[in-house]
Amino acid sequence: MINKFFRPIKEGFYGVGRHAAMSISSASAVTITLLIISVFLMFSINVQQFTKDIEQTVQIAVMVDYTHESQEQLDAIGIEISNIEGVNEVTFSSKDEEFQAYLDGFDDDQKELFEPFKEDNPMHHAFYVSVDEGSLLKTVADEIQNIEGIASINYGGESAILVINALNSVRTGGAILAIALSLLAIFLIQNTIKLTIFARSDEIAIMRNVGAKNQFIRSPFLIEGIIIGALGAIIPIFISIYGYIYIYKSLGGVIISKMFVMIPPHPFVLQIAVILLGIGMVVGFIGSFFSVNKYLRWKR
Amino acid sequence: MIELNQASKRYKNGVNALNDINLKIDQGEFVYIIGPTGSGKSTLIKLLDGEEIPSKGTVNVVGINVGKLRHSKVPLYRRNIGVVFQDFRLLPRKTVFENISYALEVIGMRKNSTRLRVREVMNLVGLDDKGNSFPSELSGGQQQRVAIARAIANKPKVLIADEPTGNLDPAMSDEIMSLLEKINREEKTTILMVTHDLPLVNKHKKRTIVLEDGHIVADLQQGGYVQHD
Repeated sequence: MINKFFRPIKEGFYGVGRHAAMSISSASAVTITLLIISVFLMFSINVQQFTKDIEQTVQIAVMVDYTHESQEQLDAIGIEISNIEGVNEVTFSSKDEEFQAYLDGFDDDQKELFEPFKEDNPMHHAFYVSVDEGSLLKTVADEIQNIEGIASINYGGESAILVINALNSVRTGGAILAIALSLLAIFLIQNTIKLTIFARSDEIAIMRNVGAKNQFIRSPFLIEGIIIGALGAIIPIFISIYGYIYIYKSLGGVIISKMFVMIPPHPFVLQIAVILLGIGMVVGFIGSFFSVNKYLRWKR
Repeated sequence: MIELNQASKRYKNGVNALNDINLKIDQGEFVYIIGPTGSGKSTLIKLLDGEEIPSKGTVNVVGINVGKLRHSKVPLYRRNIGVVFQDFRLLPRKTVFENISYALEVIGMRKNSTRLRVREVMNLVGLDDKGNSFPSELSGGQQQRVAIARAIANKPKVLIADEPTGNLDPAMSDEIMSLLEKINREEKTTILMVTHDLPLVNKHKKRTIVLEDGHIVADLQQGGYVQHD
């Protein structure tokens, strides 16, 4: 039983060792594709983070009309806003708080100028609304506008939506590229492994000749594929870790402006390393699975 | 043990390799199959070991209808028969010992029994000291003996040998012949040997089946064969 479990593993390692040149050529195919995948992966995850950050800072400021200042009316408006689909959080800020916040924007000596207004506060009661997704900003804003007793709303307008939409398409594009590259990697690696196994198609036929079942033949090759995938991931992992840390340090953690804050290297690079190792092993496994199956069918 | 009923094989390229073959071989027999190149000898072996499916008729070996086997079941069937090929078909990256033990690992034999049995057959074919050599380090005759050892290691009921002496000189051929006779005698293995080595056939007389153009033209129980025109 134990023998049954360890035999393919042992044979897999032997296979890699006894066919060293072929193993290296397969592993380098993995290395190249993983490098490209890694770049796109780190790029699109960062863009995703930018989008999230910006989405969180974009709020809809809702000013309540002077005609709706009773507590019941404010409560009703608050509930009505919360009930709109896509609304994440609603915070209330009274007109006194608003006035104070406005005052805080000035120097102390200038504040005196506003003393007269304290009694007759010109500010509105306000609600600050954040939404689940940047794309919902406009629809939510429009619905709030229709609530009775709203004086005005403000949400950074079209430009906020444009930025969020742009980042979203960059992110989607990056993700699609990463997936497409993974598929390409499987195809590439399958071809390389197919070549290396082709040299061994006679071996596979002989194994069937002496009565080896397909699974018995296949399992060491699958382990071999996993090992090759893992070996191929080593270089991309180190380049990704040190490359990302280097870029992060030399850019000071931001791209262009403070609006785009990069994800800190720790533990991000380690997660990337695990993902790359995982992709390498899975791709190696799938690549040899298809290749061995092809040659198992080569002869009856 | 081996029974072919009106078996025919027509390849996709239109070649009729075997036509309407009826043949019965009993347990413990030692049979030659002879005939010129292209007479259908190799096809007959491929039908017997399940590599090809008969276009018509049936092939029965040890009670199994070989032509009806699914692809995944073919290796299981092959555990009942041992095949020795003209080109040896040893695994190049495995040592002599590993080549023979592979056939036993495949059927799930325990490590200790495997080791014992491998030693036993290596002794039977006279290669006691070659266990750690790779096939490329051996002579043709030695490689053929490894192939025979591998074929008989799991005690198959039938041993099929495809021109086992084809690449060997006469002295070596005699040696392989006496080895096969010994296996036939001591392990009670049914042996089917394809050859075109006529001097050998005339020297070691056995039942001889003559193939020509995909037909059986003679089945000589007494053995010995004289070329006719």
